[in-house]
Amino acid sequence: MDLVQLQRQLVDYRTSLYHEGFLDEQFTQLQSLQDENNPDFVVEVVSLFFEDSERLLNELSKALEQQVIDFKRMDAQVHQLKGSSSSIGAHRVQKLCIVFRNYCEAQNVEGCLKCLQQVKHEYGIIKTKLESMFQLEQQILNAGGSIPV
Amino acid sequence: MELMKSENIVQDRQPQPQEEEEIMQQEEEEEQRFHVLAVDDSVIDRKLLEKLLKASSYQVTCVESGEKALEYLGLLHHSSPASSSSQHHHQGHKVNLIMTDFSMPGTSGYDLLKRIKGSSWKDVPVVVMSSENVPSRISMCLEGGAEEFMLKPLQLSDLHKIQAHLLKSLPHS
Repeated sequence: MDLVQLQRQLVDYRTSLYHEGFLDEQFTQLQSLQDENNPDFVVEVVSLFFEDSERLLNELSKALEQQVIDFKRMDAQVHQLKGSSSSIGAHRVQKLCIVFRNYCEAQNVEGCLKCLQQVKHEYGIIKTKLESMFQLEQQILNAGGSIPV
Repeated sequence: MELMKSENIVQDRQPQPQEEEEIMQQEEEEEQRFHVLAVDDSVIDRKLLEKLLKASSYQVTCVESGEKALEYLGLLHHSSPASSSSQHHHQGHKVNLIMTDFSMPGTSGYDLLKRIKGSSWKDVPVVVMSSENVPSRISMCLEGGAEEFMLKPLQLSDLHKIQAHLLKSLPHS
């Protein structure tokens, strides 16, 4: 695939992520903060998000396996996940966290279990999509091209 | 500003006059830039805030908790430290603005705000940030002395509001 085709593929891919609600305006904000002094800024922030989210999702799974469920602690963790997903523009994950928090507040175990599954699913999707996007960007850079805005 | 004597510089070799001048210039520039203390327990939000502030040419120090912020300001073990100059110099730290997240474990943003306003740092503007738009929380912080309450995630355009507060807090010549 030549450079122009790669660049077009990236633009189309990125656009679809916004159209399908995977990403929102905040991701654009992140990209606008990246410059020659900080060329890996977006990748760095998103990597932090991946690490942080995986830690939180593990803790939430463990919390729901306990005999006595600490809903307050879970709510605090979902709040963290909601915050970080909002900060990078991971729109679908953020929206699910809002629902999740309602179930925590209502101390609804079944609701929480279902939500956790959904959040894990959506997180998996956005992780795969962002990684694919970064790979495409790297291919363009390797081919000597620049990333289209 | 005191001229740096070459005996005071700890290094392996004596700096050339040109390098000395560059070092002095750098330090002078840093002195002139506003210094923001940013407090947030989220590693992602700290990285974002740091970038936003640096992109606006501010000097930034990020800490991960209210306790660490109090420690930095010298407020952790004393109730009222020695009086500071009007330029908000204290313990060798200059702080022109404090930006803090509201929801933090341990010392919350609100706790931090109250401690600052009850100390010799009280004239330093404090901006409270939150991902939640809760009117009662907003009025509580403003009544507690916060200069501004901002909704996360912050954007570059939000930093313009902050600049106005910083310029206001400059000492008059």
